[in-house]
Amino acid sequence: MDFKYVGKDIPRPDAVKKTTGKSIFLDDIKLPGMLHAAILRPAYAHARILSIDTSEAEACEGVVKVVTGQGCTIQHGENIRDLTPMAVDKVRYIGEPVAAVIAENLYQAKQALKKIQVEYEPLPVYVNALDAMKEDACLIHENSGDYWHLPGVGPVGGTNIANHYHLRKGDIEKGWQEAEVTVEGEFVYPFGSSAALEPHGAIGWFHEDDTIEMWSSSICPFVIREDIAHTYHLPVSDVRVHIPELGGCFGYKSDITCEQTVAYIASFVPGRPVKWVASRKEDFLSTLIGHGFVTRLKLGATKEGKLTALESNIYHATGGYSDTGLHICIAGGHNVAGAYEFPNSDQHAYLVYTNTPPIGAYRGYGHQEVQLGLERLMDILARKLDMDPFKLREINYLGAGKVTVLGERLNEKHGNVSQCAERVREAIFTGKKPDEDENYYYGRGFSALMKTPKGAPFSSKGCYLKFNCDGSVCVNMGGAEVGQGLRTVVQQVVGETLKIDPSRVSVYTEIDTQFSPWEWQTIGSMFTMQGGRSAWKASLRAIEMLKQTASQALRCDIDMLDYDGEFVFLKSDPTVRVEVTRLCRGYMYENGMTVGEVVQTTADTRLPRYSNPDENGQGTMGVTHTFGAQGCEIRICKKTGNIRVDHIASAFDVGRVINPKQIRGQVLGGVMMALGATLCEKLRFDENGRCANPHFGKYRFPTIKDAPLKQTVEFVETPGEIGPFGARGIGEHPVIGVAPAILNAIHDAIGVEFYEIPVMPEQILEALAAKQQK
Amino acid sequence: MAEKITCTVNGVKRTLELDGWEKLLDVLREKLDLTGTKRGCDDRTCGACTVVVDGEAVHSCTFPARKADGKTIITIEGLSRGKELHPIQRALIEAGAVQCGFCTPGIVMELYALYTRNPEAPEAEIMDALERHLCRCTGYEAIREGALLAQKYMRK
Repeated sequence: MDFKYVGKDIPRPDAVKKTTGKSIFLDDIKLPGMLHAAILRPAYAHARILSIDTSEAEACEGVVKVVTGQGCTIQHGENIRDLTPMAVDKVRYIGEPVAAVIAENLYQAKQALKKIQVEYEPLPVYVNALDAMKEDACLIHENSGDYWHLPGVGPVGGTNIANHYHLRKGDIEKGWQEAEVTVEGEFVYPFGSSAALEPHGAIGWFHEDDTIEMWSSSICPFVIREDIAHTYHLPVSDVRVHIPELGGCFGYKSDITCEQTVAYIASFVPGRPVKWVASRKEDFLSTLIGHGFVTRLKLGATKEGKLTALESNIYHATGGYSDTGLHICIAGGHNVAGAYEFPNSDQHAYLVYTNTPPIGAYRGYGHQEVQLGLERLMDILARKLDMDPFKLREINYLGAGKVTVLGERLNEKHGNVSQCAERVREAIFTGKKPDEDENYYYGRGFSALMKTPKGAPFSSKGCYLKFNCDGSVCVNMGGAEVGQGLRTVVQQVVGETLKIDPSRVSVYTEIDTQFSPWEWQTIGSMFTMQGGRSAWKASLRAIEMLKQTASQALRCDIDMLDYDGEFVFLKSDPTVRVEVTRLCRGYMYENGMTVGEVVQTTADTRLPRYSNPDENGQGTMGVTHTFGAQGCEIRICKKTGNIRVDHIASAFDVGRVINPKQIRGQVLGGVMMALGATLCEKLRFDENGRCANPHFGKYRFPTIKDAPLKQTVEFVETPGEIGPFGARGIGEHPVIGVAPAILNAIHDAIGVEFYEIPVMPEQILEALAAKQQK
Repeated sequence: MAEKITCTVNGVKRTLELDGWEKLLDVLREKLDLTGTKRGCDDRTCGACTVVVDGEAVHSCTFPARKADGKTIITIEGLSRGKELHPIQRALIEAGAVQCGFCTPGIVMELYALYTRNPEAPEAEIMDALERHLCRCTGYEAIREGALLAQKYMRK
C-alpha cells in the first residue's frame, strides 16, 4: 500500500511551544482567588489516628482552613470502593493524606502544616504480600468484605486479600503428566515509580452554583468527572475537568490518584480554587507506585521442547488501597504466558493489601513483572533440554491458529513473533561474542514478549471532526498527550484518509470534559490503534457528507462520485466537479439558497468483542496483541561489578509504522525505563513501611551516560484489524523484554542466575566472589 | 522581612520585593509569570529548573532569590526572538528530542550556557552538561543528537 503521509516523519505540532516554555502544564495555571494546599503525611505506615489537633495551625498567617478526614464518609473507587480522600480513623501507608492546610500561598500552607499535632497508635506493618497473607496478620482493612466492588472481583473478607483471580486452560494435571522436564523459580519485580519529570497535581474549585471544576495532570478526565460527580451527588454534566499539557505519565497519572483528595480539600472553601502539586517526595509516595510483584512460576515441557504446562502464582503487594492495582494484578495473571502457547495452564493472582503506597499503572501494566520470570525460565529450560533457546521458543510461539491462556484463538492479523525474534537474533547473535578479557566478562541475552491492552467493556475513544470553510480540518479528541506524540498520529491518519496535508489538520491541545468527546482513559497503548481508528472513521464519514452535498450540487447519486482531497467529482468525468471548500458548510447556489449539512462528524472505537472473564477466568480480554523481541549485548566489569549495556535490539510487530521518528523515540524511552528498573531503580521500604529513597538523589534513574552505546530498533508490519492502516499499540511494549534479556545475558557472561531486579554492581561482585569460592 | 532586589531578567531590569524564603524559581514562576522554567524536584537533581545567571547554568530551585540581586538572568522565555527560534530550540525539535517537553527548557538553557561559553565544547563536555538533566521520555539518543546539531547551527 502506498501512503502519502503515513510512515513519514511529520514534525510534532506541539514541539515549538514545548521548546519555548510556552506549553501550559498544571502548575503553570493561575486562577483568580486561587488558594494553595499543603498535605500532612503520617509518621507511621500503619496506625490508628487517636487525635488531631489543628488549632495552632489554624492561627497561622495566611491560613484559610485546616482540613482533616475526621467525620468524612466518602468511599470511592472504580473497581473496589476502598479509597477515602483523606485518612479517617487510620493510616495504611506512609504517603497517605492525614490533614491539609489551605492558605493564601504555598509557603504559608507548608509552615502551618508543621503545627498540626497528630497522635497515633502504631499497628503491625506489612511491606510484602506474603507476610500480609499470613493467617495471623493484622487486617489492613477490617471491613474489606463490605466494600462495594465490581461484579466478579473484590476482597476476601477477614483477610488482607483484596482480590483473587484464577485462570484455567486445559487440564493442568495432564500437562504435568506429559511434561518430561520441569523448571521453576520465584521472581521479584520490586516497587518502582513512573517518576515523570512533571510531578502530579490538581486544582479543585467548588463553585457557588453547585458545580465543580477541576484541573489535573491526569490522563483520565472522564474517570475523574464521573467519580467526583458520584461522590458529591451531582449530575456528571455538572462536573468539568480540564487536562492541560502533561509532563510525562508512564502509567501513574491514570485512574484516580490525588484528585479526590484535592476535591475534598477544596470542598471546604467553596467559591475558591485550591491548587495542590506534589513535591518530588509526594510524587514518589503519595501518588501511585508501580510493580510490587512476586511471581512463582513452573513450566513443563516434553524432551522435544514442546511446552505442556504453565503454573503461576502472583503475590502482588497492592499497597494500602487496592482499587488502582486490581487490574494490573489480573493483567499479570493472564499475560504470564507471554508469547507462547501452553495447552494446559493454571494461574492464580493474589492482590494483597500491604502498608505501602497504592500500586497503579506503570508502563507495561503487569506484563514485564511476570514475563521476566517466564523468559528467564525459557532460557533455563533450554539449557536443561540442551536445546538452542531460539529453537525452543520458536516451536512454542503463539501465532495464527494458536490459543492463548485466555482461550483466544489468534489469526495472522495478530502479528508475528517469529519474525521479531529473527530480527533481534540477527542484530545481536550473529557473529561471536567477545572473549572474556582482563577487564570484562561479555554476555548476550534474549527475550520474546507479548502485550495486550487490559481494556474494559466500555473502553472507547471518541473523535469530533469538523471541516472548516477553507478545507482545513479541526480534530477534537479525549486522548491525553503525555509526550508519546498522539497529536502527530492524528494529523497523519486524518491527513492520509482525507487526502490533505497533515499541516491542514489542527489537533486539540487540551482536554476539557465540557467540549471533548468521551474517552475512557488514555491507557494500554491504545491511542494510535483505537483513537486512530476513530479519527479514520470520522474522516470517512466526513468524505461521505461531502459527497452527499456534492450529489445535490452535481445532481447525481452519491456512488457516482469520488473525492481527492480538493474536489468531489464525477467518477465518469472528473472535470465535472465541485471544490471541497464550497461543500464544507453546505453548497450555495447562485441565488444564495444553500443545501447540505455542515461537515462535522463523530466516531468512536472500543475494543471489539472485549468480554468479562467466565468461570474459568477466560474470555476475550486480550483482544489485540503486540508481539516483539528484545536482545542485548552487555559487558560486566570484573573490578566494579558494573553492568554496561553495549547494545540493545528491539523488534516489534506494530502492524504499521505511522511516524518512524516518533516510534523510535517511544521504543528508546521504554528501553531506558526498563534499563533503569533492571539495573538501578527500586523504591526501598524498610520493615516499618518508611521509604529510604523518595527522591532522585537516591532513586537513581538512568542519565544520558547510562544510555546503551548502540540501539537497534526494527519493526515488522503485519497489519492488524483494528488500528488505522493496521497500526497496533507500542507505547508500553519496549519495557517488557529488557530485564529478562539482561538477566539472561548476565548468565551468559558469568553463569549466575538472577531472579530479582535490580541487579546492582555489589550483587554481581558478591556472585562472582561466591563463584570463586566454589 | 521584605527586602528588595534588582536584577535583569531576559533583558528587562526588574525590581522585586521578597519575603526572604523564595528561591529564584519561585520568583520567576510566581512573581514574574515566567512559567517556562519547570519545577521537577526541589533538590537540584533533575535539571528542569535550569536558568542562566551571569552566563552560568544554575538550578533555580535551590538558588536563593536574594542572591540574584544585581545579576543578569536568562530564562527559556528569553531565547527566541519573536517567532524566530534559537538554534538550540530548532535543533532539539529537528532531532526529535521533544516528547513531553517538561525537561526541555532546562536542557535548552544548559546548552545555551555551555555553547555561549565554549562554542567548540567537545562531546565529553556536552555529555557532562546533559548528565545534569533527567529525561524519562526519550532515552536520550535524540537529545544527544539535538545537542550536537545545535552546536553545528551555532557555529554557523
